[in-house]
Amino acid sequence: MNGRYLRSAILTGLVAGVAMIYLVLVGIVGVFAERNVITGYLTLGRMMLLIPALVAGYRIASGDGPFTRRVGSAVLVGAAAGLLFAGFLLAAVALSPDIRDVFNRLSQKTLDYLTFTELGLGSTAGSALYVVLGLVMALIGGLVRITPPRTRRALIGGFAAVVLMTMLEQFLRPRLLDFGWHDFENWLYTSHGLTPVSAAVVFLVGSLGALFWPDARAKTRTQLAAASPSTRKAVRWAALLVVILFVYTLPIIAGSFMTQVLVLVGFYILLGLGLNIVVGYAGLLDLGYVAFYAVGAYFTALLTSPTSALGWGLSFWIALPIVIGLSAGVGLLIGAPVLRLRGDYLAIVTLGFGEIARVLLGSDALKPWLGGPTGILSVPSMIDMDPIRDGSQYTLPIVGEVSGPLATYYPLIGFCLLAAFVAYRLKYSRTGRAWNAMREDEDVAQATGVSIVNYKLLAFAMGAAVGCVGGAIYATHLLSVVPGGFTLIVSITVLAVVVLGGMGSIPGVVVGALALIGLPELLREFAEYRLLVYGAVLVLVMILRPEGLVPDAQRRAELQESHGPDPEPIDRPRGVAGDPLAGEVVG
Amino acid sequence: MRRPFRFSTLGIIQTVIALAIVVGVTVSAIHTINGGLLSPDDWRDLFVYGISQGSLYALIALGYTLVYGVLLMINFAHGDVYMFGAFTGFFVGDYLASSEFLDTNPIVALVVMLAAGAVTSLVVAVLLERIAYRPLRRAPRLVPLITAIGASLFISNTARGFYGDGVKAYPHFEMLEGRIDLLGIPVLKGHALVIASAVILMAVLWWFVNRTRTGRAMRAVSEDKDTASLMGIDVDRIISITFAVGGALAGAAGVLYAIVYNQVIWSMGFIPGIKAFTAAVLGGIGNIFGAMLGGLMLGILESVAPVLLLQGWGVPSPNQLRDAIAFTVLVLVLIFRPYGLLGRPEGK
Repeated sequence: MNGRYLRSAILTGLVAGVAMIYLVLVGIVGVFAERNVITGYLTLGRMMLLIPALVAGYRIASGDGPFTRRVGSAVLVGAAAGLLFAGFLLAAVALSPDIRDVFNRLSQKTLDYLTFTELGLGSTAGSALYVVLGLVMALIGGLVRITPPRTRRALIGGFAAVVLMTMLEQFLRPRLLDFGWHDFENWLYTSHGLTPVSAAVVFLVGSLGALFWPDARAKTRTQLAAASPSTRKAVRWAALLVVILFVYTLPIIAGSFMTQVLVLVGFYILLGLGLNIVVGYAGLLDLGYVAFYAVGAYFTALLTSPTSALGWGLSFWIALPIVIGLSAGVGLLIGAPVLRLRGDYLAIVTLGFGEIARVLLGSDALKPWLGGPTGILSVPSMIDMDPIRDGSQYTLPIVGEVSGPLATYYPLIGFCLLAAFVAYRLKYSRTGRAWNAMREDEDVAQATGVSIVNYKLLAFAMGAAVGCVGGAIYATHLLSVVPGGFTLIVSITVLAVVVLGGMGSIPGVVVGALALIGLPELLREFAEYRLLVYGAVLVLVMILRPEGLVPDAQRRAELQESHGPDPEPIDRPRGVAGDPLAGEVVG
Repeated sequence: MRRPFRFSTLGIIQTVIALAIVVGVTVSAIHTINGGLLSPDDWRDLFVYGISQGSLYALIALGYTLVYGVLLMINFAHGDVYMFGAFTGFFVGDYLASSEFLDTNPIVALVVMLAAGAVTSLVVAVLLERIAYRPLRRAPRLVPLITAIGASLFISNTARGFYGDGVKAYPHFEMLEGRIDLLGIPVLKGHALVIASAVILMAVLWWFVNRTRTGRAMRAVSEDKDTASLMGIDVDRIISITFAVGGALAGAAGVLYAIVYNQVIWSMGFIPGIKAFTAAVLGGIGNIFGAMLGGLMLGILESVAPVLLLQGWGVPSPNQLRDAIAFTVLVLVLIFRPYGLLGRPEGK
């Protein structure tokens, strides 16, 4: 093995080692120490700790070259990572009580956990074990990379399935009991975590799924493409119907806790769809999106709450159109003066507006109207006008009676569908094409007759309208508004949802919201690391996959054109048969 | 050539807004001063406070401006770079205080703390550039900005994970008690320290940028990257150095801030970061003197304006609105003079 490979392997290994140390210092490993993946064998904390070594081994083995060099590099990477981490651990144990003054996560409990005290090893032996562990993990990573693609897919799929089942545990167990599947629950999970046997079965199911699902999907796609247009249309409608039915019955399947999570996800889907118009379609980075959310919520509260400064006590459905109109007006008002600004300045100005809104909402100066820090109380719910009752109640076919916070689910989903429909129609309309052109190159767009001012204003107003509907529902969902709910974090979370899913992509918003809002709820320990993860997601997506998880075909083309030298072949967007221009990829 | 006068809706709206602001500010100021709510001494203290706060903003703003000069990007995570420096200063200071070195040699301890903070922030800034920004050199403009926002969240929450959630009280300096006579004005010693340190650091920066070879290379890169690289300048290295210089200034500012306010917390970078950015834009982003001027102006404005504009009207707790005033300044500057006081319009 010559010097170049040696150096790059050791360097990669050290980076992986630093990542492992980071995970310990920031506290993630300690927090997940109690959660079992496979009871008695593997905890989530240790698994997370070793993932950097696994990934580093996988990466180093991805170049082409002789088998021995790839495997050798992976082994070296693992050894380097393990050595660095072992050194860190020894130092941490030696400095033990004092080091906590600086790094407060290195508690005795965490150090014991890290040095495998339960196996009766001393701290030296326990630390040295990481050289072996790192080596084995990197070797596994390297070997997975070297296996043929189909096998690799199966292995990764199985691994993902095990992780997913671990994450789902707290939600799945009570649901299985509710449905009376006691034996199955008992077999799947022991006291905490999967049993070795059930983990093996889950792994097998996952790998089989990963092996056959893409083939099956590709086959259906080709069959569908060969079918007649009317069949295609029928299949599409049937698929849509199935999806709607699924979403409709989801609260019964998911149970009340998960439905509350889904309501939260729904809010972010709605906000994401709105911001997607501004950021994804028009290319205007709005960091103060929470301002529209707040405006919607406060206008709604003012109009509907009998105890607000106005005291009109209107019904939600009468107030909503007024609120939408007012908010679109606010969008225009904010948009008009800042339109001539360049992209990054625009981002900062909108951030400034968001912060001004936050400060004003909580201030004493506006207390008589907005209630200062206590906000506005007794906002009536959507259906039931009686503010004393806790939320609305209504009966639906199949689902039965819905009440309490869950009653928000159906109206919210309805508004999400509406927003998605509007966004979809806009995207392939004349307006959508104007936005595309503007985003690509403002000067050229203007030269071809696109009125930049009007289209930017329109994007701002549309985004504002959707955001304020979200705010209005939020107000009636919580039955009050307080300024604490409208911070910059909301703006950035919505941005992360849009960016992760893929800017300009409607299904992307749903995926992004499920991943960033839904998943953290499954891992309760994660709560304090949520923002850390959002930050990491923004950086990683921008560096590794700027087009997002579910890329919009056109946006992908733009980003890759300026990014990499060899863009992949681009699928034409579907559903644009009647509009020859919309599918055209500019440039 | 002068452009012929044209009516445009936006232009008219802007003129009307501008007139309304000028009239409103004048009337409010006269109202408050006539009301005689504050004695001349109070006003003087407000100004000194503003200058001290402003010199901190200026130190942080220099980091934004230097980076903007060479990369044309807003390093949104700069405020969090500053926070990390303040934390290291805290740990060093805490250690020195427990070994009683701090009480016997306060000046040496202070210098050590400032140096530790500056070095930490320098390392964080250079790593940030290397890991998060360098891969995106040729990407569309919004991409590095979104990355920077992510990096900001990531860095601040890293500190939260490392050092814990709560507020940490900074070690106490006996020698910074009380006031000192500065040109006939009694100034709080803490404020005097901030102002003096800021002046020294800025003088060093001026010398570095204008009198050293590396500084000349930096100016060349900010003028034209491609030509600079043809002249044999290693552009990547200069960009790294720029981040390092900006980071070191921010780290020192972080320690100074923490000494004056006596505390550090993981979220302390955000608001000063945005305000320093405001200062940089106010002075003309990319312009070093602009950043200093903008910082001072913003500091004074922020300490005087809530009282001057709002107190006279009997608005309750006007200081709550201090942040809103700073952001309003930001919005107004960007709308009416986006190239700042000392900057030049883009495209010249």
